[in-house]
Amino acid sequence: MIEAKNIYKSFAELEVLSDVSFTVNQGEVISVIGPSGSGKSTLLRCLIGLEEIDSGDIYIEGLSVKKAGRKAYQKMGMVFQGFNLFPHKTVLGNLIEAPIVVNDEDKKEVKKRSEALLEKVGLSDKKDAYPSQLSGGQKQRVAIARALAMQPDIMLFDEPTSSLDPELVGEVLTVIRDLADENITMMVVTHEMGFAQDVSDRVFFMDHGKIVSDSVPEKIFVNPESERIQSFLTKILSQN
Amino acid sequence: MDYIINVSGYILEGSVVTFQLYLITALFSVLLGIAGALGKISKIPLLNSFLAFYTWVFRGTPLLLQLFFAYYGLPVLGITLEPFPAAALTFTINYGAYFTEIFRGGIESIDNGQYEAAQVLGMNYRQTMSRIIIPQTVKRVLPATSNEAINLVKDSALVAVIGLGDLLRAAKVAVTRDFSIIPFIIAAVFYLVISSVIVNIFRRLENKYSVYE
Repeated sequence: MIEAKNIYKSFAELEVLSDVSFTVNQGEVISVIGPSGSGKSTLLRCLIGLEEIDSGDIYIEGLSVKKAGRKAYQKMGMVFQGFNLFPHKTVLGNLIEAPIVVNDEDKKEVKKRSEALLEKVGLSDKKDAYPSQLSGGQKQRVAIARALAMQPDIMLFDEPTSSLDPELVGEVLTVIRDLADENITMMVVTHEMGFAQDVSDRVFFMDHGKIVSDSVPEKIFVNPESERIQSFLTKILSQN
Repeated sequence: MDYIINVSGYILEGSVVTFQLYLITALFSVLLGIAGALGKISKIPLLNSFLAFYTWVFRGTPLLLQLFFAYYGLPVLGITLEPFPAAALTFTINYGAYFTEIFRGGIESIDNGQYEAAQVLGMNYRQTMSRIIIPQTVKRVLPATSNEAINLVKDSALVAVIGLGDLLRAAKVAVTRDFSIIPFIIAAVFYLVISSVIVNIFRRLENKYSVYE
């Protein structure tokens, strides 16, 4: 569960998040949509501590990030637009690194779990490959498995398909869709409107650093109430 | 032929000093370089300025001057060093300055996404540097480090000027003593052999690291 309370974030003079509050319950899947520059990525980055919030507070599984610090982020994993796999480690090496180094887990145990995860994302045969030998879609699936290897309760996806060739988007979305059926809390920043509509329990529409709409997907996609959302959807759908 | 073997043996004795100096300098200057690079990328202003001054001075003045300073200059200030410690200290500090810059550049060339990935996986600074950043830096700095490693072989000959009995000095003594040019040729062959071995070691290392990217 994530609770954001009145969070503000500025870069120099530019206010990127302005009084953002919301609650995401255990197991919920949230899509975050909105025009570029509306603060979607910054919101995720603040939630996991890659950016420090200026004011307000965030509670993750009840722990305040202001008070608990790093400990609050332990149950959260993140997938980036640019994958950020470790190029000097094999696929399996990428998965087992953090559980062993950070959690001091038994190597054998972690390997077993990681191999199961690779099977889940359909990449068992690539476990000894290096990231440079993989396609973009395969890299992103490894990145998802790597985050899952830490057994998070919450997964954040920051435009997971935006840097992929169109024909590779599907395989990554399928993996995320399968995860959505499990009891993992997810927040996905995406431009894939079909995906957002199918998968989400709720959709956040962001504009100018605020969540201007927080509602079930039907309400946003079928009967958008504001003109701002309508014009955004028209623009984005005409591109696809 | 006997003469060549005799002189080679004599020069080989001198090269013991060269090897000792080489190994000590290589080990400590690389360690100094790693520490210096981590200091340079740190956000401690005083440390940054100190290291900037350090690399500016030691990369900006001749190694020979630094060697004279340590051996002939410091005694004026009341600090007297034997030739070998003076040479080892000067070489370590001098090469440490070059390695500081090489390693700093290498570390800074690693994409910021690597730090972010490590952070969201829960790694702390030490784990991130030792497990993720430095291993990738090693690969990138190998070519530049290889250059320095070969330079060091040749620079080590400078110690002859402070009276240290190294490979070159042994050859020079033999030339003067025997009035023959052969000792110089033998010395050149020795240097070439050492350099080739080092080039070879680095080639193997580069091959080892070429499995990724």
